[in-house]
Amino acid sequence: MKRATRTLGVGAGDASQMPSDQPANRRGALVPRQRDALVEAIVVPNTLWEAADPLAYGGGQPTEITHLRELELSSDARRDNGRWAATLEIIPTKADYVLDLIRANSLWPLLSGLACCAIEMMSAATSKNDMDRWGMFPFRASPRQADVLIVAGTLTTKMAGPLLRLWEQMPEPKWCVAMGDCTCSGGRYKRSYSTIEGIDRIMPVDVYVPGCPPRPEGLIYGMMKLQQLIKDRRGHWPERAIGPTVPDGV
Amino acid sequence: MATSAPISRRRASADDPRVILEEQVGVFEPVPPFPPRTEREAEFYTLGDGEMFLNMGPQHPSTHGVLRVVVKINGEVVTDLDPVLGYLHRGVEKLCENSDYHQAICYLDPLEYVSALFCEWPAVMAFEKLMDVTVPRRAEYIRVLSGELLRIASHALFMGWMALDLGGLTPILWSFIERDEIVEMLGALTGARMLFNYYRIGGVNGDLNHEFMSRLGDWMTRATEQHDANVRLLNENEIFVRRMRDLGRVDRETALRMCMTGPNLRATGVPFDVRRSHPYSVYPELDFDIPTRDEGDCLARYLLRLDEVKQSLRIIDQCLNQMPDGPVMAKLPRLLRPRPGRAYAAVESPRGQYANYAISDGTDQPFRLRIHDPSFIHLQSVGLLMPGHLIADTMAVMASLDPIMGGVDK
Repeated sequence: MKRATRTLGVGAGDASQMPSDQPANRRGALVPRQRDALVEAIVVPNTLWEAADPLAYGGGQPTEITHLRELELSSDARRDNGRWAATLEIIPTKADYVLDLIRANSLWPLLSGLACCAIEMMSAATSKNDMDRWGMFPFRASPRQADVLIVAGTLTTKMAGPLLRLWEQMPEPKWCVAMGDCTCSGGRYKRSYSTIEGIDRIMPVDVYVPGCPPRPEGLIYGMMKLQQLIKDRRGHWPERAIGPTVPDGV
Repeated sequence: MATSAPISRRRASADDPRVILEEQVGVFEPVPPFPPRTEREAEFYTLGDGEMFLNMGPQHPSTHGVLRVVVKINGEVVTDLDPVLGYLHRGVEKLCENSDYHQAICYLDPLEYVSALFCEWPAVMAFEKLMDVTVPRRAEYIRVLSGELLRIASHALFMGWMALDLGGLTPILWSFIERDEIVEMLGALTGARMLFNYYRIGGVNGDLNHEFMSRLGDWMTRATEQHDANVRLLNENEIFVRRMRDLGRVDRETALRMCMTGPNLRATGVPFDVRRSHPYSVYPELDFDIPTRDEGDCLARYLLRLDEVKQSLRIIDQCLNQMPDGPVMAKLPRLLRPRPGRAYAAVESPRGQYANYAISDGTDQPFRLRIHDPSFIHLQSVGLLMPGHLIADTMAVMASLDPIMGGVDK
């Protein structure tokens, strides 16, 4: 194979310089940063995904902001949803990760029991299985103060509207835990004419806790999985979607 | 996403179960019925001078589930109210008609989910009457033993909820400690903590085991002491007692007219208890009292349930002493086809008379299973009890009736 002809001594195409000769590639070019050195967190433009509804995320305008400090001062960050920048066009990096660590360790569930599982949810909150030990306790009665919606109990068609309204009233970032077989898949009331076979038909679900009802330890395990999920996702939610989980033909 | 967005759901076609149909189900919007459908609705949804509506629920921290109450208030005083039911309607009776006699029992558990065994018991008794099955005596004793244990757990939860609805947080922590011990014990016996599916047609599913007995013995040594501590926790609290006294008073005639049963009726002075009035199982062989009180207010209903716990402890003690040996399950064919007929059975659940009426048409599935739930009966009397009280007291009245929404909506 014939090599492309290169001129000598002209800029990047200079054939006399090998890639290893570049200044950044020489031995000793990188040294560890000092521990107490200040690092400016940067914002990476999002090339991975886009909003299905552009109006929902700041008009879908691409941002030219590259530093978190600028972002904080801009109108993009001054939004009501508690997350750095409402636009999906940027991926906040370090600060959002730290914020998610804080969020994961202070989950405020909504005090909303639908049926049998609510008793086990209360049991998980009281003295014997004290959820407060992992930062999951303060059950809020108002959806505007809550982070996590634990759907505990059978969801009927009549209750679906109020539950959706509760979910929409919760501020971002928010998560949903489906507790019990009825909310995961319909459970023992799957064949009924008045129940919804799994709440993932009407709202996104982050963690499924099966059982009829699950033990309090099971709910705590599910909430710990949610904490891990929040930490792992680092502020982005690519796979979060509403839709039937039943594969075709089942 | 708008709340009125349609929900799609998938179900098998009635003609060919292999064909999956996708159908759209509309979401119910909880709006008042306009135009009004009845005269009562027209009267209720017309505001008088100085009156306004207050909507409580279906998501409300103290409504014991998904009950919605539209309250008409004048200042702080409740003048009228309209409970809206059906937020937990799961179609249990219809499901039971389409399953065989064994499967029907598992649909009944989550009705009164705080005391699930009492939902199975009348159905099992009605089916046994249909099939002329004689239950072994040991199985009957085990049923009584586990049932009374669950009654204590249910009354313990009542105590916690009652205080929680009045604003006290500590009692519910205490009551859940007691409830968790009992439920773990029953978990060792039945395999589940809440929805047991333990009573079977012709007996119970499994004999007493070592873990259950050791846990029970451990608990029995301190049960009386723990109960006394629970009693002392609130009975001497002057704020609690003065708030509860004369609240939601119902007299004897009204209670009988509204078909109240259980502790709510006995708190008005009527000593009606299904265990004594229409004896079933081995209750005639056991010695216990029927506590009554005459006041008929919230405090009487609360204190009466505490008295019942003592009687339940007595029954458990006698059960353990008199427990006979023998099988725990009658010999039955796997496929049950009773003769056509009708059977009625009632038990005394922690909330009152829990009854089932079963009709058999000779097939392996019940033709009809009617569920009579005391929570539903008691909830109809809130319209009489609440008007005249303050808004803050409505939930206390509701809690003192102890309705469970699973049983109300079925």
